[in-house]
Amino acid sequence: MKDDNRNGTMIEMIKVSKTYPPDVYALRDVSVSIADAEMFFLTGMSGAGKTTLLKLLCSMEYPSNGLIEIGGRDIQKMRGKKLAKMRQKIGVAYQDFKLLLDRTVAENVAISMEVSYKKPQLINKRVKDLLEILALTDKHNAITGELSRGEQQRVALARAVANSPTLILVDEPTGNLDATTTARVMQLLTKCNNSGATVVIATHDHSIYRDTPHRIMELRNGKLHLVREGSAQ
Amino acid sequence: MNFWFAVLRQVGRNIRQTWPSQFMTFLTVSLSVLIFAFFYLVYNNMLNVGNKLGDDLQLIVYLEEEPGIEMQEQLRRKILAFDEVENIRFISKLEAYERFANQLGENRDVLNDMPRDFLPASIEVVPMKDLRSLSQVKLFSDYLSKLPGTLKVQYGQDWIERFYYFTRLLSIIVLLSGGLLILTSVFMVSYTIRLTILGRQAELELLKLVGATNNYIRTPFLIEGILQGLFGSTLGIISLFSLFQWIKIKFSGPGILSLFEFSFFQPQTIFTILVISIVLCAVGSYSSMQKFLRM
Ligand SMILES: Nc1ncnc2c1ncn2[C@@H]1O[C@H](COP(=O)(O)OP(=O)(O)OP(=O)(O)O)[C@@H](O)[C@H]1O
Ligand SMILES: [Mg+2]
Repeated sequence: MKDDNRNGTMIEMIKVSKTYPPDVYALRDVSVSIADAEMFFLTGMSGAGKTTLLKLLCSMEYPSNGLIEIGGRDIQKMRGKKLAKMRQKIGVAYQDFKLLLDRTVAENVAISMEVSYKKPQLINKRVKDLLEILALTDKHNAITGELSRGEQQRVALARAVANSPTLILVDEPTGNLDATTTARVMQLLTKCNNSGATVVIATHDHSIYRDTPHRIMELRNGKLHLVREGSAQ
Repeated sequence: MNFWFAVLRQVGRNIRQTWPSQFMTFLTVSLSVLIFAFFYLVYNNMLNVGNKLGDDLQLIVYLEEEPGIEMQEQLRRKILAFDEVENIRFISKLEAYERFANQLGENRDVLNDMPRDFLPASIEVVPMKDLRSLSQVKLFSDYLSKLPGTLKVQYGQDWIERFYYFTRLLSIIVLLSGGLLILTSVFMVSYTIRLTILGRQAELELLKLVGATNNYIRTPFLIEGILQGLFGSTLGIISLFSLFQWIKIKFSGPGILSLFEFSFFQPQTIFTILVISIVLCAVGSYSSMQKFLRM
């Protein structure tokens, strides 16, 4: 996603609105820029529009109005192969996981690397490493549908970061986790962020953004409000 | 390399998951190839036999009197008005006499007392060597016998006509079974692929979300279609060959069948049938895949 005109900006949203028929205003005139390698917290009450915003960013849904650029490119203009290539560079941990429940944990994590034709040895190694970081080593060959929700959540996260994407979108990554496991998850995300990935975390888990030096914004009734400016950069 | 690894693994998964319907498709494809190839083979052999029979087929129109040059032209035009022919030859009374004399050879003395014009003049019409012309020899001969100045029309074996008529009928059956082959392979394959797609909808949707290209999603299904076509048509051809051998052995004794030499398809024909089946099955699979990818 090289583009000379992007000035270090990963995400550019200008006056973006999203309405669901008949008259649900999920997002209204949202404008925000998120820099390369920034970690960004998106908070808000249930139903505030966090998931909707992430879905727009990974072009699962399209905005009703406004402009969204990822890495300097208008995502609404991307189709076919270009869209696929862009999606390979965006790792998403969905709120509803979207795991293949009849496959093993390892297969689920591997899928994001398989589609970009990584070498099988490389895939195996990466899967093992990630499962270890997320304390899932003993679940390597378990059928995903048989895991607990907290375990599935971590599998979804592992899949999101596996292909070393430049943009990581995580939706409620710690909803079902205890404090220790939450810390592991945040460690992994921080590590990805430190190696250059832009990370956007949508959450209402106060504990994970309370002490963060990163920017926090809140969605309220579909509008975006700054909670705290980041002090990290 | 990694692409093909991924694709083949996917093919394996698909087959493992939906093998009963895959197997049904495979059987259907091979059955329709068998039916088509069977009729085509019979047709081919009939054509061969027909060629041998047709080689010396000609109609002889005996005339009341020797036609002049102008009359010859008129008759020629009349004959061509019915159908194209391969050749028209006028045989004068004298020529007929000479020919007959030559046929008699040493015994030609018996003709010494005969007037040299005792044989009627005639026209030899050699019809075109194609099915359409050959299958209407009877009609042609009726037509010729109604030409002014005709004594009678003679053409060798009148069962030839029925033979060609049958061959023509057979060509229609070949076309129909070819149509059947096209329909079954395209629709059955596209149907099974659609079943597979429905069974794996969640996975295919996810593949799109994680950035799989259309080729990544499509190729395994295309390969599946190609395999269906390849294995299905191979089985069909092999069954036909066994049937052919069996019939050959069964009827190899003296009998009508042994008069003619029956032959199996040339390698090129077999190859063509295989390729066409493969293409048809691939088309079936591609069409269902496109429907899904457009969603
Ligand atoms: N597909 C949809 N069709 C109609 N309305 C929708 C759809 N998706 C979301 N909404 C509505 O849009 C609003 C925002 O939903 P969204 O899922 O973005 O909230 P959220 O902030 O992620 O909530 P939560 O914290 O519970 O996950 C909600 O009112 C929701 O009902
Ligand atoms: Mg949500």
